[in-house]
Amino acid sequence: MSLLSINIDSKVYSGSKNTLKVLEDIHLEIGEGELVCIAGPSGCGKTTFLNILAGLDSDYSGRVLYKGAPIIKCSQERMMIFQELGLFPWLNVQNNVEFGLKMKGIPKKKREQIALKYLEMVNLVKFKDYFIHNLSGGMKQRVALARALAMEPQVLLMDEPFASLDAQTRDMLHLELQKIWIATKKTIIFVTHNVREAVCLGDRVLVFSLAPAHVKASFKIDLARPRQIESEGLIEKVRPILTELKFEIERDYE
Amino acid sequence: MFKQVIFYSALLLLWHFLFSIKIWPAYLFPSPLKVLKAIIEGFRSHIFIIAILVSLRRALIGFGISILCGAVFGILMKKFKIIDDTFGKLVMGIQALPSISWFPLAILWFGLTETTIIFIAVMGSLFSITMSVYSGLKHIPKIYIQTARNMGARRMKMLWWVLIPAAAPSLIVGLKQGWSFAWRSLVAGELLFVSLGLGYLLMMGRELNDMSQIIAAIFIIILISVAVDRFVFGIMEARLKKRWGLEGAEAL
Repeated sequence: MSLLSINIDSKVYSGSKNTLKVLEDIHLEIGEGELVCIAGPSGCGKTTFLNILAGLDSDYSGRVLYKGAPIIKCSQERMMIFQELGLFPWLNVQNNVEFGLKMKGIPKKKREQIALKYLEMVNLVKFKDYFIHNLSGGMKQRVALARALAMEPQVLLMDEPFASLDAQTRDMLHLELQKIWIATKKTIIFVTHNVREAVCLGDRVLVFSLAPAHVKASFKIDLARPRQIESEGLIEKVRPILTELKFEIERDYE
Repeated sequence: MFKQVIFYSALLLLWHFLFSIKIWPAYLFPSPLKVLKAIIEGFRSHIFIIAILVSLRRALIGFGISILCGAVFGILMKKFKIIDDTFGKLVMGIQALPSISWFPLAILWFGLTETTIIFIAVMGSLFSITMSVYSGLKHIPKIYIQTARNMGARRMKMLWWVLIPAAAPSLIVGLKQGWSFAWRSLVAGELLFVSLGLGYLLMMGRELNDMSQIIAAIFIIILISVAVDRFVFGIMEARLKKRWGLEGAEAL
């Protein structure tokens, strides 16, 4: 049985004047420990899709099962890392990472121990007392990652988390994420509009169409890990996906 | 700091100069030295200490009530749109009213009592605190609430650990403003009947034709405002700026 069994018939946003269908006929199985990347044109409903998986949005028609049970509300087993991260500026790095544990009622000593373990994993122990505004973009990403990992979820849902970073930082985080994925065996669903990034990270790359989005194509990526953007063989994998995606983007301009 | 010392020294010198050329009679325009004597005398005879304590106590009670009620009103307004549309609009209207206008009403309701003065202080600060709680909650970025929900924060935990700290930049502005309104209203209220506070000290000065006491009382009222501003709210703001960085500071 797959970990996530997704059958979304449609997802519609209804405003006061018009309605907008963002998702249509998405049928997917995602296995435990898989790293699936979703690539699609901007505004195609990728974020909406992740919100549904997280349980933050239950207003759709269809059935999404997690371990065989329908997702009705958000759970700490599926942690979302938002594009804007949502790190709390009133807490320092360590307290940000501890936040969810505190909500669970875990005692302080234990919280500290868990937070430090994951801060270590993302190489931020030295910065544990810093406030968020003192961190660079890449460091913020790593805090968000540590905060999500500290909840010890099964699934990480990542919504274009590296989009706003410079290329060097992004390359480094690609490596770190793969390392963490190999070490923790989490199931990761990673949304991006960058095909190279998708190929670099994913076991599988799904191309979403323009809204209403459906899965237009699926590509298996079986390159050795850890991969980097410039890894051998990567560019050959990128090309056919780019063609699919380009078609969608050009369709947008017509 | 150096600039301030020069400025205030010059001001004192000017004051003394104006006094010494005797344009106005001394009982209307006392010398700085005489005012200083009045201050020392006032503290020595405990009159000022008592006045300060009485006024501060009232202000704190009034401010405290305003914080409690303002928090409840603000949260309800944010939570229920109907309350925002009805009560919220009323609040904005009432806020325009100088709080001392409540004085006749309060006298008839509560008589010449402590309650009347505290009521005036509450009316001065309640609505600005209400509005700041409301707008602070309203402008919290949705992302904080979503991430907190994802990490299991619900209801009271959400309020205490996420909503209040996230609204802090706006709340501090509101509290600061609320305090200064409470303090001003209080002094105005105290002017109007025998009540022992700093306002009453001003009034007593008038009745005794003692200009140096009036000026001394004015100094004390200003001094307390400045001290609270700097040492209570100033420290809160500095802490906030340190944590939030410039982004939070811009809201102040």
